[in-house]
Amino acid sequence: MSPVSVALPQSGTEAPRGLKSAPRFLLGLSLVLLLTVFCGGAFAQAIQYERPVDTAPQEKDIGGGYKVPPVQKPLPRSAWLEIFNVVLMAAAMGASTWIVVTKRSRRWLIGLTVATVAYFGFYREGCVCPIGSIQNVAVALVVPDARIPIVVIATFFLPLLFAVFAGRAFCGGVCPLGGIQELVLIKPVTVPRKLDNVLGLLKYVYLGLAIWFAVQPLAQRDFLICRFDPFVGIFRRTGFAYMIATGVGFLLLGMFVGRPYCRYLCPYGGLLAWCSRLAGRGVTITPDKELDCGLCTNACPYGAIDKMRAVRKDCLYCARCYAACPRDREARK
Amino acid sequence: MSEQSTRRDALKKLVRGATATGLVGAAGFLVHKAQGQVVWQIDAAQCLNSRLGEVGGKACDLCLKECVVTNSAVRAVNEFSKCGRCYICPAYFNVKSAVNKEGLPSEKLCPRDAILRKPIGEVDPNDPANNFYEYVIDEKKCDGCGKCVMACKEPAGLGSIRLKVRHDICVNCNSCAISTACPKDALFQWSVPQAVLEWKELPHA
Repeated sequence: MSPVSVALPQSGTEAPRGLKSAPRFLLGLSLVLLLTVFCGGAFAQAIQYERPVDTAPQEKDIGGGYKVPPVQKPLPRSAWLEIFNVVLMAAAMGASTWIVVTKRSRRWLIGLTVATVAYFGFYREGCVCPIGSIQNVAVALVVPDARIPIVVIATFFLPLLFAVFAGRAFCGGVCPLGGIQELVLIKPVTVPRKLDNVLGLLKYVYLGLAIWFAVQPLAQRDFLICRFDPFVGIFRRTGFAYMIATGVGFLLLGMFVGRPYCRYLCPYGGLLAWCSRLAGRGVTITPDKELDCGLCTNACPYGAIDKMRAVRKDCLYCARCYAACPRDREARK
Repeated sequence: MSEQSTRRDALKKLVRGATATGLVGAAGFLVHKAQGQVVWQIDAAQCLNSRLGEVGGKACDLCLKECVVTNSAVRAVNEFSKCGRCYICPAYFNVKSAVNKEGLPSEKLCPRDAILRKPIGEVDPNDPANNFYEYVIDEKKCDGCGKCVMACKEPAGLGSIRLKVRHDICVNCNSCAISTACPKDALFQWSVPQAVLEWKELPHA
C-alpha cells in the first residue's frame, strides 16, 4: 500500500506556489540533515510523522523497560451458575407443587413467589426464560445448522414435563413474570366468561407469530416474545422507555384484572395449558368436605373454577381458593 | 367408580405417558444440536466500524443506541500489542480540528473523553513527537459509540481498537437488541472461550 500521510496538522508552513524545485529540494535535504543530527539514532521513530507505523512497535522497540499491559477480558458468568439456575427452577416447581397439592397454603406460596421474583426476576434479570426459549427451540428444530445451548433445552422442556403431571406449577410460584403480576393483584374483577375465552385465544396467535418470526433466515429473524417482554425492563431497572411503559401498564391493569399477560398473551402459557389438561395432580376443591358455598369460585381471579372444580388448564396455582375456603381454614387450625 | 370413568382414567394415563415420552424425545432429539454456554460477541470482521476498507464514513453507533443496558454493554477495546502508539493518534485526536500551538490537533475525537494518553518507554521530554504513546480506554467512561474504532483504521491507524461486548455488563438477552438492529449482522452468540479470547486478523475489504 502507498504511504499515505495522516491528515496531520498543516500549520500553514506549505511552501509558496511558484517556488522552483531546486530550492525546495535543498530545503528538504537540509531538514533531513538537521533531523539526522539532532535525533541521532532515533531517526527511525521520527518517520512516524509521515505514516505512523506499518507494524505495531513491541516492547523491545519501545524500550525503557516498558511492559505491554494485558487487555482486559472480563469473563461471563460461570456455566455452572447457568446449570444451577435450571436445577433451582426444577426445585422451585417441586416446592410449588408440594405447597399447593399437599400443604394447601397461600401464605407459603406467596413466600415462594416473592423469593422467585427476587431471584429469577430482579437478580438474574430474566434471560433465558422458558417463554423466550420457545423461539430458540423453534429455530433449533427448523433450521438445519442451528445450535442450541443445553441449558435452554432444559429450560424449555422441564416446566412442560411438570405440567403433564402436576399442572401449571411453573406459573404459580416460579415464573417471575407471573409472580410480579400475582403480587400486584389487589382487587380482582371478574372478566366475563365469553370475553375471557376470546382474549385467551390471543396467546395462540402470539405463539404462532413468535414461531413464524423466529424461524426466518438469520437476517430477518426476530424474537418477538423477547422484544415485547413487558416485565424484563422492570426486572433490569433499565431499558427502552416503551418496554418499561408496557410493563407498568400491565402491572396497573394487573391490579384489577388477574394476570393479564399470563392469561391472554403468554405463549408459553398456551403450551402449558395444553400439557396441563392431562395432569393428575393440581389444585383440588375438596369434594368430600365441600359446602357448595361457591366462595372458592368467587375468590379465583382467573376464572379457573368451573362448577366447583378447578380447571387444570386455567389454574395458575395461586392458592387463593384455599385461602377463601372455610373448610380449608378449619383444617389448617 | 363406574367402568366408564375407570376407562377414561386409563386413557388419560396413556395419553399422559405418551405426551411425556414425546417431550423427552423432542428434548433428546435437540441434544444432538446442543452446545455449551453461549454469549453475545461482535465479529470484528463484520462490524462496520472495525472492518478494513470501510473508511471515511460516519461511525455506526447502533451498539450504543440499541443496547438495553444504560450506556451499553459494548466497549471499545484497544489491543495494546497491535497499537501503533502514534504521536498523533487518529482515534484520540480529531485530526480535522484546528492545530494548537503545540502542533497538535486541538480537539479530541472521543465525545466522553474516555481515552487516556501517556508517553511510554524512554521518554524524550524535548521532542514529544519522538515518543511512543500508550492509549488506554477508560471502560467507565466509554459507551461503545464506535468513533475511535472507525478512526483507528488504515491508512492512519492499524486497527487495534475494536468494539467488544463486555460480558460482565451484558445481561445476555436471549434476543440481543443490537444484533437485531445491526446492519451487518455482526453480533453472534459465540461459545465462551471463542468469545472471550477471540482476536483475529481482519481481511481486507
